[in-house]
Formats: sequence, C-alpha cells, structure tokens
Amino acid sequence: MIELKEVRKRYRGRNVLNGLSFTAEKGSITCLIGMNGAGKSTIMKAIMGLVPIKEGQILIDGKPRGKWMYEKVSFVPDHLTMPLGMKMSEGLTFMADFYESWNAERAAELMRFFRLEPKEKIGNLSKGTAAKYNLVLGLALNSEYVLMDEPFSGIDLFSREMIADVFSSELIEERGVLLTTHEIDEVEYLIDKAVILQDGKAGLEFDCETMRSEQGKSIVDVMREVYSR
Amino acid sequence: MRTGGGWEEVEFNSREPVYLQVVRHFKEMIVAGKLGAGQVIPSRRELGTLLKINPNTAQRSYKEMEERKLIVTEGNSPSRITRDDSVLQAIRAELLGEAVDAFVAAVRKVDVPVDELLDLVKSKYIEALSVNPAHADKEGSGERL
Amino acid sequence: MRNYLKLLHMEIHRFRSILFVLMGLTALVQICAIAFSTIGEINERNAYFQQTGKPAETFFAAMSFTRMVQNTQFWFAVPVGLSIAVLVIYAFLIWYRDWFGRSTFAFRLLALPSERRNVYFAKLTAILTFIFAMLGFQLLLMPICRAVFTMIAPADQIQPSFIADAIFANQAFKILLPRSFGEFFANYGLGIIALLILFASILLERSYRWLGIALGLAYAGLCAALMFFPPLALGAEYSVGYLYTEEIYAIQIAIDLLIAIVSVWLGLYLLKKKVSV
Repeated sequence: MIELKEVRKRYRGRNVLNGLSFTAEKGSITCLIGMNGAGKSTIMKAIMGLVPIKEGQILIDGKPRGKWMYEKVSFVPDHLTMPLGMKMSEGLTFMADFYESWNAERAAELMRFFRLEPKEKIGNLSKGTAAKYNLVLGLALNSEYVLMDEPFSGIDLFSREMIADVFSSELIEERGVLLTTHEIDEVEYLIDKAVILQDGKAGLEFDCETMRSEQGKSIVDVMREVYSR
Repeated sequence: MRTGGGWEEVEFNSREPVYLQVVRHFKEMIVAGKLGAGQVIPSRRELGTLLKINPNTAQRSYKEMEERKLIVTEGNSPSRITRDDSVLQAIRAELLGEAVDAFVAAVRKVDVPVDELLDLVKSKYIEALSVNPAHADKEGSGERL
Repeated sequence: MRNYLKLLHMEIHRFRSILFVLMGLTALVQICAIAFSTIGEINERNAYFQQTGKPAETFFAAMSFTRMVQNTQFWFAVPVGLSIAVLVIYAFLIWYRDWFGRSTFAFRLLALPSERRNVYFAKLTAILTFIFAMLGFQLLLMPICRAVFTMIAPADQIQPSFIADAIFANQAFKILLPRSFGEFFANYGLGIIALLILFASILLERSYRWLGIALGLAYAGLCAALMFFPPLALGAEYSVGYLYTEEIYAIQIAIDLLIAIVSVWLGLYLLKKKVSV
C-alpha cells in the first residue's frame, strides 16, 4: 500500500499540498481526481521522490522510501523522459541495465501490442506513440505499484482505447495502480477507488462500486457534489 | 469464445454497481439464447478486457454468479454456464417477471381492458419478432479449442 | 560502482560526437596552421634568395618546429579556445539538458534504483574525462604537427627542436600544458575546484529556482573570496610579511581543499534531498 500522511508542500507561495492523506492499495486501481493545478502531478512526483515535500510522510508498504522503492514502484509520466537521440530499443536497454525487476520479454510483448517500432528515435515519436512507449517503460518493470500521470491526456482516440485495454488486462491485475486524469468518463468503469482533491487535501476518498450501490451516485456525481460545497 | 457475441455491446449505467450490471447482462444473454447451458464463458481477465471494466469488478461479478449458481467452475477448467435447468428457468422467470412488471407499471396509466391489451401485445410482439429474430446468433457447441 | 560506471559510460557516449568534432577541428586547424606557416616561411626564404642571391641562413633564423609553433600562436589557440568554451558550456549543459527540452531525462535519472551520488560523480568524471582527453589529444597532435613540418620543410634547413620546447612556445599551452607537475597540479586543481563550485551552484538553482540562482552566485562568490583573499591579506606580496610563504601556501591549500569537500558535499546533499524536477 502506498500511504500519504499529512503531506504538505509549498510551491511559489501556495500550499499546493496542505495536509494530504490517502492510500492506494495493491490489487486496486486508485484515481486522483482534481481540477487543473490541484497538485495531481505534484503528488505523483512527490511519491516518486522527484520533488521534495515539506512535511508529512509517504510510506510504501509501511516503510519510508529509499532507492529500493524504484524497483517496486514504476512511474508513467505524461511526457517523454528519455533522451531524444536514443532509439526506443536503446531506451529499453537502458532500463534493463539499471533495473533488476526489468522484464525484457514483457517489454518486447508490449512493444508488439502497441505496435511500436524499436528502431525509431524517441525524438520522432508522436504524442500517442510516446504515451504508449512510456507505458511500456512503466509496465515492463515487475513493479508492485504503477503510477500514471494523465495517461489519456492529449492522446488520439485509438491510442486511448489501447491504453484503456491495458487497465483491464493481467498487466495490472496484482499491482496497485495510482493514476491521475481529467478524463473521468474514460475511467468511470476502470477504477476501484477515487480520491477527490480539494484545497490540497483529500476532500473525499471512496470505493466506486460501494458509492454506486449505497448511494446510486456515479463518480462524476460525487465530483460535482464535492466541488460545489 | 472471443468474437463478438454481444460482449462489446454493453452500455453501463454509471450510477449502479457495475458488477451487478454484468451479472444482469449474463442473465439477459442466457435468456436470449446467446449463452447456452454448459457453454464456456470468457475468463475473468478476458471479460475485463472485453467489457473494458476493472478486473476486480469482473472478479466480483464472477463471484456473484457463482454464488447464485449461474456459472460453474470445475477445478482449473474455464467457467461454464450452469446446466441446471431449474436455475435457467428461474432466470428466465426473473427477467420475464421484471419486464412484465415494468410493462404493467407503464401501461396502467392507460385505461384499457385486458383482452384488448393482450391482443395488442400479441400483434406488436409478432411484428417485432419478424423484423429482428431473437435466436439468430445462438452459438454452437461452445467447446474450447 | 557498476551503476556509476554505466552512468559514466552513458554521459561520455552522449557527448562523443561533439568531442570528436572538437578533436577533428583542432587537428585540422593546427596541422593547417603549421603547414601554411612552414610554406610561408619557405616562400619568404626563397624570395630573399631570389632577390639578394644570398642564402637564407644569413638573414633568417634557423627553421625549427618550435619557431613555427611560435609563429602560429593565434591559429593554434583558436581551436583550443573553442574547445574550452564548449567544455565550459557543457559543464552547465550536462545538468540542464536533462531538465529542459521536450524530454526530461532527470525524471529517469532521479528515479533509478541506485544512489543519486552516482549521477553526480558520473557527470563530474565525464567532464574531467573530456578535459583530459582533449589535453591528451593535443599532446598527441604535437609530434604529428612536427612530422608535417618535417615533411614540408627542406631537410637541410631544419633545426631540430624538442617537443617540450615547442609546446612551451605557445602562450596558451604555458597554462594548459605547464612544464612542472606543481604548476599542472595547481592549475588543474583550481579548475576542478571551480567545477565543483559550479556543480554546487547549479544544484542550488535546481533546488530553489530563483532563490537558488542567488544562493548559487553567493556561494560561488564566497568561495572565490576565500580562495583569493587569504594570500593577499596575509601578505603574500610582501617579502617581510608576518607568515612565511610556505605557511601562506599551506593555508591556501587547506582552504581550497575545504572548499572542494564542502562543494561536493553540498552538491550531493542537494541532489539527494532538495532537487526538483
């Protein structure tokens, strides 16, 4: 379980994260929902140790983070993070070189599934292709948790469908997934739990099916409620 | 059983638990003849991918169906629709009952004698059947290769 | 250790084309400079002979490689200057290229399952490797240039000279390729410390952005002051100052070492705990 406890962070004078607490369990797909600028990306980066936090704790399986976590938690960012001059195959080799939990067969499988050409240079990829490549880099790792930052944003429809397919597949099955997205309708039926961010805190954290059976509300309904308070 | 067969046509309602909607869809497929007794069904994972839902939801719907004896899983073989006729009949009765209840509730607002109503229902139904045959795509043996 | 080496390999690999271009350019310009200079000298001598009928030796000094190098100060220095400029710029870019642009490689580098100090030391070592590779290449070029000179100049007019003298004939090489180990150590030691201060400043900026620029400049300024103030204040210029020159020298080295260690520590600390993508 990824756990955030009372996390605080200031950025440009603003309290972007103001006592944020929530959990993302293994075997579950959790989604962070929030308005633009609510700090969704910041939270992902904070969990990954890419930005420092001022106060609070972030624990992975109950333990404080360290370099060991990078074998257990993989990150799928919303933009390219490999050198543009590298070919996609060289990027895969890079990952294989540094990560013990890299699964080269799965990487090859995913490259085929997404129809990516390994010899192409990363700098020449379209947005949709880059997003798929990022997914390969994140999912081919035998990690226990996968963080995805806006996996659908700015992607063409067909690429989106391919990416959504990943969510329902065995690639995700035993892992804990934490994602952020604007496209609630894309994920309405894909996620187990939603965390609605408000004022740098978790305004509401709920299980989606329970919300549907007990209150007859969809995720969008709950969002509207929380943001109109 | 990977091609079509009604798996992609499901429109979910975002305000009702999805797993129950999946169970309902199975019942509808059974009653419509698209799923026969003892027919093999997709695995949990496959179902998740086909319906584009969360694998946990697929899992939950399977559990529900197993509890209600809609499907049977023997050891490591793929799950199948039950062969138990009483269960199948019960489903049929349940869906029919629901449809009729809905119809009755809707048509009660109109003041009409029962015989006229039944004749109307009969002619409309026959008309609908001739345009859109219900049993056309019942799949064959359902044996896995 | 293995991760450090892998990162070092990657950093060197990324820069290899630029390095080869610099080397190629240096070779081209310097060889041409020597060649043209030699040919020019030969032409002058022939012209003198034509005009006066007297052999060239009566007027001209002997042709030696050292003298050729002396005559080509400017052209020899141009590729050297260019290489230095490129390397200084890359000392910045080796960090900033991973943060800016369409791709943020920093996301990957900072999320590797290895100590972040490996990233720091890989970048540091890479820059040092480039510097010393260029130096080594320059040294290699000297005998090659001399060979070119020997091929072009008429054998009977050549006065042999030592490579070491030839190197010393160029003003730029006096600093870059000094004769004594002590000087070499001092020059490059200072250069390395400057590099360490630079890295610390860059990491300050990457940790605190605008405030970081101010902090970086302040830190660099402080270090510079500490490095230059004591010798002057303690009276290194006066032969009758309070402290012996050796003592001032020792204090200076201690301060420099301290600055080096603090800069490395600061850089590592910031990279591990404070840096942001």
